Amino acid sequence: MTSAPLLRATGLDKAYGPTPALAGADFSLRAGEVVAVMGPSGSGKSTLLHCLAGIVRPDAGTIAYDGRDLTALSDRERSSLRRTDFGFVFQFGQLVPELTCAENVALPLRLNGEKRRAAEARAVAWLARLEVDGVAAKRPGEISGGQGQRVAVARALVTAPRVIFADEPTGALDSLNGERVMSLLTEASRDTGAAVVLVTHEARVAAYSDREIVVRDGRVRDAEWAA
Amino acid sequence: MKLRVWARDLALGARFAVSGGRPGLLRTLLTATGVGFGVALLLLAASLPHMLFQREVRESVRAVDASREVTGPRPDTFRYFDRATTYRDNVVSALLLQPDGDAPPLPPGATAFPRPGEMLLSPALRDLLDSPEGALLRERLPYEVAGTLGKDGLIGPAELRYVAHVDFLDTGNPDGRGERFGWSVPEEPMNAFLILLVVVACVVLLLPVLVFVATAVRFGGEQRDRRLAALRLVGADAPMTRRIAAGESLAGALLGLLVGAGLFAVARQFAGSFTIWDVNAFPSDVVPLPALAALALVTVPVASVVVTLVALRGVAIEPLGVVRASAPRRRRLWWRLLLLAAGAALLVPLMGRVSVTETSIDTVPVVTGTVLFLIGLTTLLPWLVEAGVKRLHTGPVAWQLAVRRLQLSSGTAARAVSGIVVAATGAIALQMLFQAMEKDFTLPTGGDSSRAQIAFGVHGKTFDEARAINARFARTEGVAEAMSVVEAHAWRPGPLEKGRDSAPATPLRVGDCASLREFAALPACRDGDVFVVLAHGAQGGPDDERITAVARAGATVALRDPHPPEDGPEGRPADAPPPLWKLPAGTKTVDSRPDPTGMYQYGVLATPSAVDTGLLGESYAQSVIRLDPAVPDAADRARNTAAAIDPTAWVKDLKDTEVDAAFSSVRTGILVGSTLTMLLVAASLLVTTLEQLRDRKRLLSSLVAFGTRRSTLSWSVLWQTAVPIALGLALAVAGGLGLGVVLLKAGGQQVQDWWVFLPVVGIGAALIALVTLLSLPALWRLMRADGLRTE
Repeated sequence: MTSAPLLRATGLDKAYGPTPALAGADFSLRAGEVVAVMGPSGSGKSTLLHCLAGIVRPDAGTIAYDGRDLTALSDRERSSLRRTDFGFVFQFGQLVPELTCAENVALPLRLNGEKRRAAEARAVAWLARLEVDGVAAKRPGEISGGQGQRVAVARALVTAPRVIFADEPTGALDSLNGERVMSLLTEASRDTGAAVVLVTHEARVAAYSDREIVVRDGRVRDAEWAA
Repeated sequence: MKLRVWARDLALGARFAVSGGRPGLLRTLLTATGVGFGVALLLLAASLPHMLFQREVRESVRAVDASREVTGPRPDTFRYFDRATTYRDNVVSALLLQPDGDAPPLPPGATAFPRPGEMLLSPALRDLLDSPEGALLRERLPYEVAGTLGKDGLIGPAELRYVAHVDFLDTGNPDGRGERFGWSVPEEPMNAFLILLVVVACVVLLLPVLVFVATAVRFGGEQRDRRLAALRLVGADAPMTRRIAAGESLAGALLGLLVGAGLFAVARQFAGSFTIWDVNAFPSDVVPLPALAALALVTVPVASVVVTLVALRGVAIEPLGVVRASAPRRRRLWWRLLLLAAGAALLVPLMGRVSVTETSIDTVPVVTGTVLFLIGLTTLLPWLVEAGVKRLHTGPVAWQLAVRRLQLSSGTAARAVSGIVVAATGAIALQMLFQAMEKDFTLPTGGDSSRAQIAFGVHGKTFDEARAINARFARTEGVAEAMSVVEAHAWRPGPLEKGRDSAPATPLRVGDCASLREFAALPACRDGDVFVVLAHGAQGGPDDERITAVARAGATVALRDPHPPEDGPEGRPADAPPPLWKLPAGTKTVDSRPDPTGMYQYGVLATPSAVDTGLLGESYAQSVIRLDPAVPDAADRARNTAAAIDPTAWVKDLKDTEVDAAFSSVRTGILVGSTLTMLLVAASLLVTTLEQLRDRKRLLSSLVAFGTRRSTLSWSVLWQTAVPIALGLALAVAGGLGLGVVLLKAGGQQVQDWWVFLPVVGIGAALIALVTLLSLPALWRLMRADGLRTE
């Protein structure tokens, strides 16, 4: 028996100026599932992720999350949803350089109104779980790339999201660090029951997923979704 | 050899600046724009001396040469009357001409002499008269428009002026007769205090421009540093990368010079379209002094290289990236204080040495001292911001983001507000000087504008005509009350005393009781009463004995000059006896009181029934007019009536105080400069903020991705602007008060008001709000998800 999709997109269109990024893309994600979105550069992978996460509003199509139509939500409602239900890991430029690592991880909690001390305590716990508790008081500029990505993963998980969106999370790391980050991300998400949408062009990274789809020319070509 | 290496690296950097792809080009354009604004302002400042000098030249060229008296009429002479009228707070200058013959010289700006009853108008006056706003003024100028006055006859394109050909000027007109135009009116030398004010103002207004230029050459520094790291990877050594970086800045600065020259060229074309505090100039008059322009053009590129090299001292550009000293070098305080102390050391000895009676000051220590003091304060700011933000605790997320950002990199923020520190410090010190000097340069006129607002006087009127004038003013809309008297003279009759060529005389004023009360404290008054008014020698007037020698109760006085000069205007044969009048026995002696113009009058005051007014000699009709404040344009309606009665009548707006003209023009200049400086500071802050935001585009997008509210980031931007500005203003308040005290003491003056800094702080707060508001659209645009795209 298959459960109903937690996140489902149908017929997504999105263009940046005259350039189409998505052209009728479909997608679905079940709770706790890890899906790798693959495809060549410029195929629309990241745009699909941004649409699914409610960061970008598609030009056409629908996105249903837990029974709610994401495309019909206001910017404020989508922002709120991203704070509470989603977590994010990007390739780079995601940690606030002036905050310490603990403060970076605590940031989503604080944005949700949690007190600073409590938020930072939870942040430090997550840093320990991702084996980077030693960098809690350091700033992103003072740590390595691999440590930075683990901090980013901790920040994505700290709010106990239902979906984690990871866009090329290992793109800036060497293979060893990349492997470690991926294993920590998938282990932690499985522990917490979070689903993961993983954009990557590396088969090695995609191997951590339960399912792979390929985006080409703005369409999901090899969707293995249950209708 | 070394020079060649430098040239090669600088040229390489310059090439990167224009060929480094879109981001590099954008950075160069940003620098060029910032530098361009600064250069344009410097060129405008360098043009001010010539511009103001040209205004004087223009004023001299069109003035009728009054250096020698033109005695008789000739075909090429003319009678003239040069007077200004006021229209809704604007001055309308006028030159009335009446040629004596058929070859009068052309007034400057005219292509042909206007015919009788015609006038030539300045373009601005023509526009005003053609518009509905000028309807009331049109009534005052009963001449046909014959043409336009050219720029040779105007001091600025916005000047309101007319030159009219009239036929009513007689030999008694106060300006007289002329034969040519062009006379350099000797200027009064400025006193040392005003020079001090001007010198300090120049320093405090121009220093922020240089600070801004220095800030502009560092725009986009972070992006550039990443590019330099790539150069290190392919073999450039550290000094070479610094020189290449300097070359990049140099390219931006040189491009900025071009932009600045272009902006200046455009701005000077519009010089005529703007009037800032009555200053308005023809584009051809806005020409920078060559030496000052050259100084600006050399300083800017040199400064760009020096600033970049200095800025890169704390940055290690390594092949694998840029390492900003992770534990930034602790800023040292001593050399910053040394600059301040050096400035103070030059200024403090001036205390008590600048006197209002002198006309020059030793400008070198003033300029050097002020520059060192202000630069010292500017360099103190990064130390203060670093020390200040280090102690700040985290609070809400927006505050935390701002504080942490400032703690990590306080230098950028400090640089951004350094212009404000200089401008605010200077503004506070200048305000203190102004306040102290204002009392010396604001002269009480003695007038009482609560009693009347306009005074009017015209020669050659009889008492009946004076009555008619009064009635005419009384009928004028907006006139609440008009009080008029006719002023003649009373002479002591009889033969001349030995050794005198004229009989003793005293003024005789005839009017109703209400009008007479404006001149003296009358105990009681009714028609038929006469008073002798004594001023007790006030305002340099005659002793009381000289009055009472002519006029006292029961005395007989002559109502016309008993011994008129042979060429005098008295219309009476010299051998006919003058009409006599006996002052009533009940004539009271009263004390004078200042009339509404502030003058103590003396002599005889008579009510109409007391004297046969038909016997009075040539008289002067005087009116003082109280306006109804509820009636719009009441003053202009009264001025129209005055002009209709006699275009050469004396009309004065009554004010309680009058500001010294030189002081007023210095204040005007400083206000113009301050406005431009503040705008520049705001622009500088805005560009810096936008530039920082642009550098953080990806980070902002990722923050938005995980749900950060716009308001959180907006508040963060506000705090990031507000904290350094608040610290900067605190420093400026302390520095400004200190500088102000030293400069005041130099002139032996006392501080008038210690709270003088409050408006400056208010302006600072307004700048914070303005910059934050103007940067919000960019912030929101950068918060879009586009920033997350990598392809």
